[in-house]
Parts: sequence; C-alpha cells; structure tokens
Amino acid sequence: MNDIWILATASLVASSCALVGVLLVLRRLSLLGDAISHSVLLGIVLAYLVMGERSEMAMMVGAVLMGLLTAGLTQLLQKNPHIQSDVSIGVVFTSFFALGVVLIAIYAGQIDLDQECVLYGEIAFVPFDTVVWGEQSLGPRAFWLALAVFLINVVVIGVAFERFKLMAFHPLLALSLGLSVPFWHAMLMTLVSLTTVASFDAVGAILVVALLVIPASSAYLVATSLKAMMGWALVYAQLSVLLGYGLAVWLDSAIAASIGVMAGGLLLLTLAIQQLLKPKASQLNLS
Amino acid sequence: MKRLSITAWFLSFVLVLFVPSSSWSAPLKVVATTGMIGDVVQQLGQDKIALSTLMGTGVDPHLYKATHGDMRRLQQAEVIFYNGLHLEGKMQSIFHKMARSKAVYAVSEGIPKSDLIHYGSVVDPHIWFDVSLWQQAVETVLEKLIRHDPKHQAFYNANAKRYLQTLTALHQWVLDQINTLAPAQRVLITAHDAFGYFGRAYGMEVRGLQGISTVAEFGLHDLKQLKDLIVARQIPAVFVESSVPKKFLQALVAGVSESGHDLKIGGELYSDAMGLANTAEGTYVGMVQHNVLTIVKALKQGEPSQ
Repeated sequence: MNDIWILATASLVASSCALVGVLLVLRRLSLLGDAISHSVLLGIVLAYLVMGERSEMAMMVGAVLMGLLTAGLTQLLQKNPHIQSDVSIGVVFTSFFALGVVLIAIYAGQIDLDQECVLYGEIAFVPFDTVVWGEQSLGPRAFWLALAVFLINVVVIGVAFERFKLMAFHPLLALSLGLSVPFWHAMLMTLVSLTTVASFDAVGAILVVALLVIPASSAYLVATSLKAMMGWALVYAQLSVLLGYGLAVWLDSAIAASIGVMAGGLLLLTLAIQQLLKPKASQLNLS
Repeated sequence: MKRLSITAWFLSFVLVLFVPSSSWSAPLKVVATTGMIGDVVQQLGQDKIALSTLMGTGVDPHLYKATHGDMRRLQQAEVIFYNGLHLEGKMQSIFHKMARSKAVYAVSEGIPKSDLIHYGSVVDPHIWFDVSLWQQAVETVLEKLIRHDPKHQAFYNANAKRYLQTLTALHQWVLDQINTLAPAQRVLITAHDAFGYFGRAYGMEVRGLQGISTVAEFGLHDLKQLKDLIVARQIPAVFVESSVPKKFLQALVAGVSESGHDLKIGGELYSDAMGLANTAEGTYVGMVQHNVLTIVKALKQGEPSQ
C-alpha cells in the first residue's frame, strides 16, 4: 500500500510538472522551477520574521508569494531588450536567495532555517504523513495536495489552452488580437509558483526541478503540436516515475533522485533513437 | 549411502531452520535516526532487538536523503527513536504524525525545558555533547523498550544500569580532562554551533563560524571578531567537523596566519554523526573520548610551559 501511495503521489506531481513544464520550455523559462526552489528561501525567512515561529502554513504562503514575485520580476526584466531570458531568471533568484541568506545572518543566525528542513518534503516518507478525519485515515496529505494541484492545472490549462498556445508561438499575434497577455501570463506564473511550491512540499526539490524540464524537453523532440507535446510530456513523466521507482527499489537508493535519473535517461534514449532512425536526413543537412 | 547422508544433512538443515523460530521470540524491530541514538538502543537491547539506523557515518542530518529501504524499515519498525528538537528537520513533523498510530519517541522528550539551550524560540538540538543530558535520553530509551517488550525488562534494566555507570564515569573523565587546560585555553572554535551543550557542561567557551544550520553562511563581521579573539587570546587551534566541509575553517586559519599568529587545525571532531562502525569512534563513548582528547591535545600546545 505504501508503494502505491508513493507512486500515485509521484505520478500526480509528475503530471502537473510535465504540463506546466511544456509551457515553460516553449517560453524559454524552463529553469524557472530551479529559480523558485532557491528564491523560496527569502519567502521562508520573511514568513518566520513576521510570524516569529516556524509555522508550516505561513512558510508555504511566503514561499508561494515569493515564487510569484520571482516569476513576475523575471518577466519584467525580460521586457528590457538588453536582458536575455536566461539572464533575467539568473538575476532574480540569485539576488533573492542572497537576500534570504543575509536576513538569516542578521536575524536568525541561531535557527535552523532553510528550505531543505522547513519546506522540502521527502517522497519516501509520503505514506507516513496522513490526513486523519475523525478516526479514519484518508491517506497521505501529500497525495491530496498533489491531486488538488493537478486538478487546478488541468482546469486552468484546459480553459486557457488556446490562449497559452497563441502566447507561446505567436506572442505578437496574441497582442494584436487583443488578448490580455499580461493577465494570462500572470495566470501561468501563478500556476508555476503554486505547482512548484506545493510539489516541493510534497516530494522535495530535485524531483520537481527535473520533472519541470526533462519530460517537456523529451516531448519537444517528438511532438509536432502543443497538444501532442503535452501528451508526450505526460507519457515521459509517467515512464520516468515508474522506471525511477523500480530503480530505487532495486538499488535501495533515493527515490526522487532515481526518478530524475530515469527522466534524463529517457531523454538521451529518445535522442539516440532519433539519430539512428534519421541517418540520411542528417547527412543531407551536412552536405 | 551417499544419498542417505545428503538426506540426513538436508533434514538437519531444515531442523536448524525451524528450531530457532519456535524457541526464540523474534527480536523487537527498532529504528533510530542518528548513530548516537542507535548506539544507545544497541547497548540496551543487544541481541533482543533488531536495530537499523537511518543516518549512517558522516551523514549531516540536514542533508540526509531517505532511500526506498528507509521507508520500508520505518514501515516495519515496532519502535522508532528520533532525536527531536528539530534535529531531523521536516522529518520531525512526520514523526509527530506517525506517533498517532505507531510507537515513535523523541529521546529528548524526558529532558526538562530548563536544561535545554534556547535561542529565542528555538532549541539547540545537539544534546548528546553533554553526557549527563544524554543519560536522560538513555532513561527514555529504557522506559520505551520496556513498555514495548516487557518480558525482557530485567535484561534491559541490567544493561541500562551498566551503560549509565559507564556514562557517569565518562562525564567525570571529560570534566577532569578539560580541567587540565588552563582557564584561558578553554576556548573551542568549530565550524558550526554544535558544541553549545559541551561548552556549558564542561566549562568551555564555544564559538562557531556558522550558525546552527550548516546551510547558513558566516558574515565578514563574525570572521573578523573571531580572528581578533584568536589573536588576542593566543588560541593555538580550531577544529573541523566530520560532517561539515573543512574549507571555511581553512580560510580562517589562512587569514589568522597572515596576521602573524600561528593557528593550527587541531583535528577533526565528530559532531552530527559518529565515526565508522566497528571502530572506537563508531560508538557514542568512543566519539566523546576522541573529541575530548583531540581538543585537549591541540589546545595544550599553546601553553607556555610546554
């Protein structure tokens, strides 16, 4: 039963990350998840300073808000034509993380306060952290959290699919058609921040950062439309979870890291197969 | 004839397999988070328990990553011991929740609040460095083992009595060792603030380069203060820890050497994790002895008489 809860939670997190990841990869923001994993430190520290104690709820809220701010500021910097998108991500999260470290040094030097120990969950312990209603155990908290995030993702992406598509492939057309680009972009960023922070809490950071980037990139190699890309990303994400879990059981290793390794392995495999299948095409390109 | 002997051998093998399960009772399955707690449980339970320890040699509890097998071991455990006081970070809230349906105990639960070191609203978790506090943790482990395995009560009690005597002697030995240092020499400088209880119990001034968390970084001001202190007090040595990177202290040593004072790295102390299994430092007593001997030897080099 425990294995099933872990697999179900990982699978839901992987699905959410794959869907959001596709939109991020297409907009060249794939490292936003990694950025948020660092800048949440500032949110945690601020939440601690405001509340005066390590309250989990306050820190979650602080982390989500800081994720949102990271995404928003990144977007703002990108508007400047002299700043590349990778640079804008790099600037924002490093300075947020640094500010968090400075604040810890000034106000909270004696306290064990970092995202590793207050926010990031451990996927191996998912089955032990259950929700209890009266006398009845309803299953792991992380599972319900992951399910809620997944449903939010499905609903928002389902409703805004055409708009996201237009913004990803024809941003200028979207603007000229009178689409409220800032609004839908803010929507996407809220989705990213919510998905990443909730997933950090459920299963830890490595897994989330890997699953935001790798399945979507693998899907990018094989898909020809946005819909197909999302479908492929979901397939790659589920395969990574299953194979990675098998690897972790076989080697008795960390589950999240094994899933990340498998996701990377699948991407390499896809590349290799494509190279083997298209030898003539690549020769043509060379000549 | 040959076949007969093989059959007999096989039968006896089957018998051997079956006999123990009927005459033995299965050992109590216990999981401990850190090596220090595991050692206490092993000393008390010996062959009456089956122990597994989650954080092995040299593992910083802040950076511990659980494996699939760890999940299995926790699931199958009959009793789980953890340090508490937020040493295990986020795992602690999981232990709190597991305690609703399983025997999960913090070994620090029996220690009165007034005996703990507080930093604002947060408590220093490194209680094992004060041997007398750690004895209270031993009492807690003893009580819980008896509660869950009452038929070996006498066995656990006898082992605990012996172990507590060893620890009482160890506590006195540490006091005696530190007392051989001149009062001005009793300054312990390490990479992170793990030795607060040690300092309080044995009369040493403790300074850490980092805060309690091994993730926070030190400030330039801290570094300058520490340098001034080392030069002014003519402190001969600072210490590295087995579970924290050495580079910060090496930077400090290099910085102090520039100002003409000869500062050495006095050796490696075990802080958040013990030494290798099957070595002296792989037990709690051996770890404390190693730390104290290392500290005393390095700090004595600064005494003018030597």
